[in-house]
Amino acid sequence: MSDRVDDRSAAAGELYSGGRTWLRPRLRPGLVLLLLVAGGWFCFHFAEVDLQRLVRGLPRLASWAARSWPPDFSDLQTLLTRAAETLAMATLGTSLGALIALPLCVLAARNTSHDLTYLAARTVLNGLRGIDSFVFALLFVAAVGLGPFAGVLGIGIHSAGSIAKLWSETIEDAAPGPVEAASLTGASKAKIIVFALLPDVLPAMISGLLYIWEFNVRSSTVLGIVGAGGIGQELKNNIDLLDFPRVFAIILVILAMVTAIDRAGAVIRRRLS
Amino acid sequence: MTAGIRVQDLAKAYDARPVFRGLSLDVAPGEFVALLGPSGAGKTTLLRCMTRSLDADRGQIWLAGHAMHELRNGALASARRDIGFVFQQFNLVQRRSALENALAGRLASVPLWRILSGRYERGDLRAAEHALARVGLRDRSQTRADCLSGGQQQRVAIARALVQGSKVLLADEPVASLDPRSARDVLGIMRSIAHDDGLAVLCSLHQHDLAAEYADRVVAIGDLLRPVGRPS
Repeated sequence: MSDRVDDRSAAAGELYSGGRTWLRPRLRPGLVLLLLVAGGWFCFHFAEVDLQRLVRGLPRLASWAARSWPPDFSDLQTLLTRAAETLAMATLGTSLGALIALPLCVLAARNTSHDLTYLAARTVLNGLRGIDSFVFALLFVAAVGLGPFAGVLGIGIHSAGSIAKLWSETIEDAAPGPVEAASLTGASKAKIIVFALLPDVLPAMISGLLYIWEFNVRSSTVLGIVGAGGIGQELKNNIDLLDFPRVFAIILVILAMVTAIDRAGAVIRRRLS
Repeated sequence: MTAGIRVQDLAKAYDARPVFRGLSLDVAPGEFVALLGPSGAGKTTLLRCMTRSLDADRGQIWLAGHAMHELRNGALASARRDIGFVFQQFNLVQRRSALENALAGRLASVPLWRILSGRYERGDLRAAEHALARVGLRDRSQTRADCLSGGQQQRVAIARALVQGSKVLLADEPVASLDPRSARDVLGIMRSIAHDDGLAVLCSLHQHDLAAEYADRVVAIGDLLRPVGRPS
């Protein structure tokens, strides 16, 4: 019995070191520390981190902060309209993403797809996820002109990849039993998915979609900077004019909007669970 | 060709480790056969080979007149409509009602839009209600599967096979997760399906006493399915 345990320990030790014994276990923590220090130096060097510049810039930031009080809510109507634009952009963009993601997620889940279609779908959605909505919005501004519509398209295309990945993983985690039972009735794949798979994964899919929506509301505030409209565009214009009380008011509106959306999402998710 | 179940010279191995070899078995229509064997003896593998969820290495399988070993794709799906299957863990869609789960037996013939909208034909609904009444669950038809007990869920699974209109019923340890009383209820229903509806029923079990009490014939997989006893 003890021999067997020793054998297992030896095998586990070999696995742990990848089958090689070129580095003594005692030296491993030192090597890890060395790699961390080297990695940190590399990042600092290329990110051009300069604490002196930060120290020189702090007084300027402080003076801006002082000049931004009190926040300027004089034209609140415009700010709220711009916030509504941002919210609409994120909501429509997320909906567009969900529509594109619906067939993609089935193709990108191992238990509902074939090997080749799985690989192809995963490649497509990695491409969509790999390019940020900011970059897509830049491209769409050039294609369809300035305004929130470019933002909707940018968010939609990028979100499609994220939503499809999230949903495909939910599908992969679904209990296989009901699907197996449905397939043994001789039903087609589409019917099996709709009848046996969808009810099981739908709450998790909606919950994931809400997360993406909340994220999109936050991220779409920046899209205005590239001309995709919304409250981000208002923010950029006022920073360019150095109108700090107005900038502060815009930041407060953004915070209120994002907090309200986060709360709404949490309430819906709680009801779903 | 047989209207019931016929398996001839079946062999299956996992990674060159044989599970069974030269396995032959017949179950006539209207007969309830219990397949006995300890865990790991290959009962589940045999049943999965019979439905072609797994491919056997060698041998022939006829279920309800279909040469299962020759079928592929659409023909296989079509043949499966005649084969009911009851699982140890019930495999119901937990968020659907007992009635909808029973209706799963008609999935192959119901149009997709009806499944999406939940508007099933009156005839299908009647068949599902009748099947649920037969397994003693008429009053639980609108209850969600995850609110039913294990025994009730297994009876819904049997109702699903009844609604399917299958000619052969395969059951993989259907009472292993149930309390003794529910186990007897389920086996009683399966025996009545064999005797009253004329289905060939093959049911894997590991309780000798239950097999002897309910089955018309008991076969042991460890003994290459040679008969080991017939209850008096």
